[in-house]
Amino acid sequence: MNDGFARLSPCDELLLMPDVKVLVQGINGRAGRSHTRLMRAYGTRIVAGVSRSGGSVDGIPVYNTCAEAVAATAALVSVVMVSPFAVADAVEEAVAAGIKLIVTVAEGMPVADAVRTLKRVKAAGARWIGASTPGLAIPGRLKLGFLPDVALAPGRLGVMSKSGTLSYEICYRLVSRGLGQSLWVGVGGDPVKGTRFCELLPVFAADPNTAALVVIGEIGGSEEEELAVAIRSTPCQKPVFAIVAGRTAREGLMMGHAGALVHGTNGSFESKCAALAAAGARVFARIQDLVDAIASDSQCSR
Amino acid sequence: MLLLEYDAKAMMAERGIRVPRGVLVRAAADVPADFPLPLMIKAQVPVGGRGRAGGVLEVADATALTPAVQRMTSATIKGHRVRECLAEEMVAGHECFIGFALDHASGNVDVLLSESGGIDVEARNSDIVAERTDFDPVACRDAAMRLAARTREPLRAAFSDIAPRLAEMFFSLEAVLLEINPLFVRPDGSWIAGDAKLVVDDNALARQPALAALIRSRADAYPEVVGKLASGFDFAVLDAEGDVGLVTTGAGLTMQLIDELIARGCRPFNFCDIRTGEFRGDPARLIRVFETMAASPSIRAVLINFFAGITHLGEVSRLIVSALEAVPRLVLPITARLIGNGYDEAVAVLGAMPVPLVVEPDLERALDRVTAAAGRKRP
Repeated sequence: MNDGFARLSPCDELLLMPDVKVLVQGINGRAGRSHTRLMRAYGTRIVAGVSRSGGSVDGIPVYNTCAEAVAATAALVSVVMVSPFAVADAVEEAVAAGIKLIVTVAEGMPVADAVRTLKRVKAAGARWIGASTPGLAIPGRLKLGFLPDVALAPGRLGVMSKSGTLSYEICYRLVSRGLGQSLWVGVGGDPVKGTRFCELLPVFAADPNTAALVVIGEIGGSEEEELAVAIRSTPCQKPVFAIVAGRTAREGLMMGHAGALVHGTNGSFESKCAALAAAGARVFARIQDLVDAIASDSQCSR
Repeated sequence: MLLLEYDAKAMMAERGIRVPRGVLVRAAADVPADFPLPLMIKAQVPVGGRGRAGGVLEVADATALTPAVQRMTSATIKGHRVRECLAEEMVAGHECFIGFALDHASGNVDVLLSESGGIDVEARNSDIVAERTDFDPVACRDAAMRLAARTREPLRAAFSDIAPRLAEMFFSLEAVLLEINPLFVRPDGSWIAGDAKLVVDDNALARQPALAALIRSRADAYPEVVGKLASGFDFAVLDAEGDVGLVTTGAGLTMQLIDELIARGCRPFNFCDIRTGEFRGDPARLIRVFETMAASPSIRAVLINFFAGITHLGEVSRLIVSALEAVPRLVLPITARLIGNGYDEAVAVLGAMPVPLVVEPDLERALDRVTAAAGRKRP
C-alpha cells in the first residue's frame, strides 16, 4: 500500500478491496436472485442476503434484516436490489447496521429520497454508489452490480462513468485493444447521487494499480467541472482521458438521464470540455478517438 | 422535467400564488373577445431566455393579435417548434426575483432573492441575496423570510407574503427548481408572478398524482414524459425530418451515437433508450418504436444498437423478428449492431428475415453503414 492509500477514508478503502464480504438486499427478487448468482460466479464474496422471505438462495443464508445479516457475517458492503421507491429505506437499514459501502442499482429513485439518503450516508461515514448505477468492479476479482463481463478485463485503467452503456462500449473496445481496468465505478446519471466524480479522484490517485483515468461524462449537472477543480488542486500524476456525451443535445429536451438536462448554459458540453481540458485532461468527442489515444499512450498499458 | 409556464402558473394559482389572467392559444380565435388589451403572446417552449430568443411578443391592439399569434406559432425557439402560446394580460410593477433551487452536489437548497429582476438577473449576481439551506420546508421558508427582511419596502412585504407559499409548493410538488422572474411588486406591496419556472422530478410522478394528472392531460405538450409513463422507456423525437431512426438502449450511449451520427452528416430522427433488459419476452416496445419509424417518411435508415450485458441476443433477435412481422410497413434498411451472449444465434435468426437487415458487430462500421444508407457521405 502506498501513502495515498493510507489517507483514504475507511469506506473508500473498501473500493479497493476485492475480498470484502458482501450482502445483497432484495436477494429474493427476480433481479436479486439472478444478479447474485452472476456476481458470485464472478468471484464476489457474497456472504448473506436480506429479504423478508428468510431461508437461503443458492446456499447463501438469507436474513430478515441487515442487522441480523451483519451480526452473523460481518459484511461491510451491500448491493441493494430493490424497487426505486424502496431504495431509501433499504439504504437506511444498511447504514444503521454498520454497512460502509452501498451500491444501489434501481433506476428511478426520487430526488427527494436521494437527498435524504445522501445526508444519512454521509453522516454515517459510509459511501453510497448510486442511486441508478450498473455498479462497480475490480475486474477478475469483484463485481458489485452488473457491469458486463465482455467489457471487463484486469488492467491499469481507472474508469468512472455517468453512463452505463457508454462505459460498456468504451471499455469493450479498450479491452479488445488489450487494455483492461484496475477499478471501474459507475456513478449513474441521476442529478443527486451518492458519489460524484470528484470524490473518486483520491481513490484512483491512491490506487497503485491505476495508471491512467478514463472519465465518461455527459451533459448536465456540474460533476465534470467539479472533477476539473479537484484535478487542479490535488495533482495526480496519472493522465486523464475524458469523453462527454451530448454535444448536440438541445436545451430543454429530456434524453433518458434526469441529470442530463441542460438549462441555459449550465451543464453544457462546452463548459465541461473546457474545464477538463484546462485541468490537463485530454478530452475527446468521438469514442474511436478516445480509444485510439488511450491505446497509443504508453502509461496506460504499463 | 421543466413544466411549461402555463402549467407552472396553473399549479401556482391553485396555491394562492397570484398570476396574470392567461389562456392557452394556438390561433388568434382562441383568445376570448373580452380579453383585456394590451396583452402578451408567450411561446410555450421548455427553454430559458425565451424573451431574448424572440419567444415573447406584445400585442397593443386587436389588429396586432392575429399576426402576432401567427408569427409565434410558426416560430422555432432554441430548436423547439412552438405549438402553443400563452396569451396573457399585461401586468406591471417593480421587477424582482425569488427562487428555490436544489443544489445537486450538496443536496441543500439555494434560496435566492433579488430586488431587481427581469432578463439579466442571473448575470447581475451582485443584486442577488442567497442562503444555502437544509433540504427542509421550514428551514427554506425561514431562510426566505430572513432574506426578505433584508430588502426594502414594499418589496419586503411582498417577499414575506410569497416566500412561505413558494417554499410549500417547492416541497409538496418535489420540485428541484422553482423561480419567479420577474415577480411584479406594486407600491402597495401587492404582487403578481410575471413568469414561472418549475422543474419537477420525473421519478416522483408516481407519488405526485396531481402533477401526473396534469402532465397526462397535456400529452401533446409533454410527449416524452407521457410516452414514458405509458410505455416504460424513453423516446424523444429530435428532428421530425430526420433521416436515421434509432432503436437503441442506454441513455448515455444513445446521446453519444446521436453526436457521432450528426458528425457524419446524418440527421438522427430520435433519441431512444428502449432497455432490452426489461423486454421480458415481449416485443411491445420494439413494435411501438418500429411503428413510429414506419410512419415517418423522412427516415431512410434504421440503426439498432443493443449492447446486452445480461440479456441473451438469441432471445432479443427473436423479439426483433416478431416486431418486424408486426410492422410489415417498415421496409427501411436496418443495421443491427449487437454485442453480447448469443451473437451467432442472433445472426442466424435475423439473417433469415426477408427484410434488408444486416447484423454488424462493429459500431464504427455500423455507423458508416447507416450513414451510407441514409444517403449521407462521411465528411
